[in-house]
Amino acid sequence: MNVEGEYIFNGPQQAVYEMFNDPTALATAVPGMQKMVQVDETHYEGAIFLRIGPISAAFEGVLSLTDVNPPESCTLNIEGKGKAGFAKGVGRVKFTDIGNNQTKLNYSGEVNIGGTLASVGQRMIDSVAKSMIKSGCEKLQKTLEERCQQK
Amino acid sequence: MTGKYFGQPVLRLEDKHLLTGRAKFCDDIVIPGMLHAAFLRSDYAHAIIKNIDVTEARKHPGVVAVYTAEDMGDYWKLGPLQVPPPFAIKGAQFNARTLPPIAKGKVRFSGEPIAVVIAESRYIAEDACEDIIFDAEPLPAVIDLEKAWEDTSVLVHDDLPSNMAALVKQESGDYEAAKKQADVVVSHRYVADHVAGAAMENRGFVVNWDERTQEMTVWAGTQAPLPLRSAIAGRMGLVENQVRVITPYIGGGFGPKVMTSQADDVLLPWISMKLNRPIKWIEDRRENFLATTSERDQVHHCEMALKNDGTILGFKDIFYHNTGAYDPYGMTVPLNTQTHTVSNYRVPNFYTEIRMVFTNEMVVTPVRGAGRSEGVFVMERMMDLAARELKMDPVEIRLKNLLKKEEFPLNTGVIGQDFVVGVLDSGDYKNNLEKCIQMIDYEKFRNEIQPKARKEGKHLGIGVVTFTEGTAVGPYEGARVTVGNNGKVSVATGYSTQGQGHFTVFAQIVAEQLNVKVEDVRVITGDTGHFHWGAGTFASRGATIAGSAINSAAVLVREKIFATAAKLLDVPEDQVELCEGSVCVKGHPEKSVSLGDLAGKANPMRGAVEADVKPGLEATAYYAPPHGATGSGACAMIVDVDPETCKVNIERFVLVHDCGTVINPLLLEGQIQGGVSMGIGNAFYEKMVYDENGQLMTASFMDYLMPQATDMPKRMEIGHNVHPSPLNTLGLKGVGEAGALPPPPAFCQAVEDALYEYDLDLTESNLNPSLLYKFKNEATKR
Repeated sequence: MNVEGEYIFNGPQQAVYEMFNDPTALATAVPGMQKMVQVDETHYEGAIFLRIGPISAAFEGVLSLTDVNPPESCTLNIEGKGKAGFAKGVGRVKFTDIGNNQTKLNYSGEVNIGGTLASVGQRMIDSVAKSMIKSGCEKLQKTLEERCQQK
Repeated sequence: MTGKYFGQPVLRLEDKHLLTGRAKFCDDIVIPGMLHAAFLRSDYAHAIIKNIDVTEARKHPGVVAVYTAEDMGDYWKLGPLQVPPPFAIKGAQFNARTLPPIAKGKVRFSGEPIAVVIAESRYIAEDACEDIIFDAEPLPAVIDLEKAWEDTSVLVHDDLPSNMAALVKQESGDYEAAKKQADVVVSHRYVADHVAGAAMENRGFVVNWDERTQEMTVWAGTQAPLPLRSAIAGRMGLVENQVRVITPYIGGGFGPKVMTSQADDVLLPWISMKLNRPIKWIEDRRENFLATTSERDQVHHCEMALKNDGTILGFKDIFYHNTGAYDPYGMTVPLNTQTHTVSNYRVPNFYTEIRMVFTNEMVVTPVRGAGRSEGVFVMERMMDLAARELKMDPVEIRLKNLLKKEEFPLNTGVIGQDFVVGVLDSGDYKNNLEKCIQMIDYEKFRNEIQPKARKEGKHLGIGVVTFTEGTAVGPYEGARVTVGNNGKVSVATGYSTQGQGHFTVFAQIVAEQLNVKVEDVRVITGDTGHFHWGAGTFASRGATIAGSAINSAAVLVREKIFATAAKLLDVPEDQVELCEGSVCVKGHPEKSVSLGDLAGKANPMRGAVEADVKPGLEATAYYAPPHGATGSGACAMIVDVDPETCKVNIERFVLVHDCGTVINPLLLEGQIQGGVSMGIGNAFYEKMVYDENGQLMTASFMDYLMPQATDMPKRMEIGHNVHPSPLNTLGLKGVGEAGALPPPPAFCQAVEDALYEYDLDLTESNLNPSLLYKFKNEATKR
């Protein structure tokens, strides 16, 4: 499965980038995310509970950051496993200052899934991924606003 | 050949049990102390097993035992080759890689079993499966058949130099020489996609080892109870009569249930004996989709050489056949394809080459149609391609090339799944087609209905194809017929039944010979405790092979009845006749003896025994054909296509078939209609889809679309031609797969005809609205 898209944040590029590198911010943004713990500079361990069509199951996995190029881009690598299968994905995110205190996020990635997740959930996973990204970005926008106000 | 019972539309005797919920299925078996099994299956299609940690699962409350390959010791062995390799064909190459009962070292398809949990309930067993930690290193998956054949491909079996499972070439005549004489040569690539058996009832297995009697009883939803019994006995070191396999009522077979030596029937008998407890396993739908067996999935590269007048000079077909991760069922499916590609037309020069490949997909074994579907599909599509090239009518080119009835018996020169050269025994193929186009009003449709519809902006199209169905292959089947002391008759055969109506047609055969009521004949199928010789249910061979054996046994019993009665009534044998349920002296109905009393007399008491005693009104007989009997037919359909949504409605459907002598016209129509629904499912609904990582994306009925009653043709007619087969006394040929074969090519031809504004070229057997839309968009507009 391929995902691709963009989202415009109302906030400066540096702040957006920092938020993306903050596990607590990410953890609250992803629906169903139950924990997100930083292991080292570029590795996080997490647990998530997902509902995809008839499947609802917990997954545990590792998120790692590569090609880190602050505050412009990075690559997110996810490897997760659970009772309903496994997922392995790569996502590239890029931040661009588009003026007016706005930052554009471009993302593209591939996700490979297996097990029940693939054999029963495949049909729904596209729309589930899209809606998770959408609500995640909206949540992050709110976090961003709060952060900017605090500053 | 129609008699008092034989040939009559007798209602199915089994239906009163099935329709009132009184039939006993595998899951209805309950034994005190019974445990339940659940399999943990691999999520990966291709991976090296690093570790399987079952510690937590073993501690799960209610779990009795957990086993992986490591726990099985010497009992872990690769399964048998269930069909011998095709070495009857000169130069054939075959690499046997049979099924491991449970994965060891490596997993080769998604759904392959890796551990089994035995627990007090299925719920507990399934929960405990989730406690198992399966650590594996994923490998790239082999999915594309043509790429899999290449030397550069990732290997499914590391010990082989390539993914070649088999290479089989056959030639009759000389294709390349014929090609030089041709006016026209057409060539094309076709795909016959992957489908499931999708029986209403999944597989099931219940086993009980009785320590005190030293006997094992197995209830299984199998099409092959005798091979299953022998395989279990062999593995367990038991003599055959220590294992009794019973097939209860089974909710559909359709092919995949012929496989034995899978995880359930290898592991559970061993575990039952180890734990000394009965065990039940009922397959769930996802397991069935992922890990039973399925079929089709071939890619053909075809070439046809013709004269300008449409006469076929030769045909060449090189095709890739997916056998899945293992090839335990040999080459039955692709050999059927080879024999069915050219069996209805006169093709003097034929070259055919099977390239069977291993992939990281579930094992391929027959599914109703069993290779015939693919052969019929590519040949009929090539006939359409040639007709288009030569600007001939599709019917005209077929009539020109169909074999004539005077040519039978005809040696095809191609060796089939039974390892003998095919012989087309009988039929009138041209008349099948002529009758078919007459029934569908072909001329009227072309000249009146279609032009009128087109003027109104409607897209109606017609498709007409022909087919043969190779049926009733060996090796043999047998039966025992016994008259009971109550005057009722019992028939026992090793042949097993999955809903075909055997209880009725077998009873009709016996009732006719013995002049008893059909309902007074009790048929027992697929219980090795009652009859312990036979092969299994496949290749449309029940009525013909088992039916012929039953008929022979009934004839022997009839002779015994006459001999015994004549002695008792003190008249010559030619002076007695069968009245209903009794034997009487000709012309003196008052001088009679009931069959029940006669049966009692046939079991001599002290003082009446003769030296060569053969007690009972009972006989056993077997039937083995020299080669299969070939049914034939033609099929036409009229479709209405919406070019915008690519929704297709089948307005009319005609199928003319010839299965030789008809035992029961009612059941015959049922068989054909069921087959047609499967054929229509193949044509426009059903398709198994694997992604590039070997994940099956259609493992539920949400994604794997079964055709429904509303998808069936609005009007359906069946025409019968009867050309008895000379191969057996009753003149029978099989018909179990006939309906399933012709719908995909007829559908393609009809849809192409309907969307006449496009230069549509449908090259896949399993369409759906989205795929048809894609084909339409890629086609040039005329």
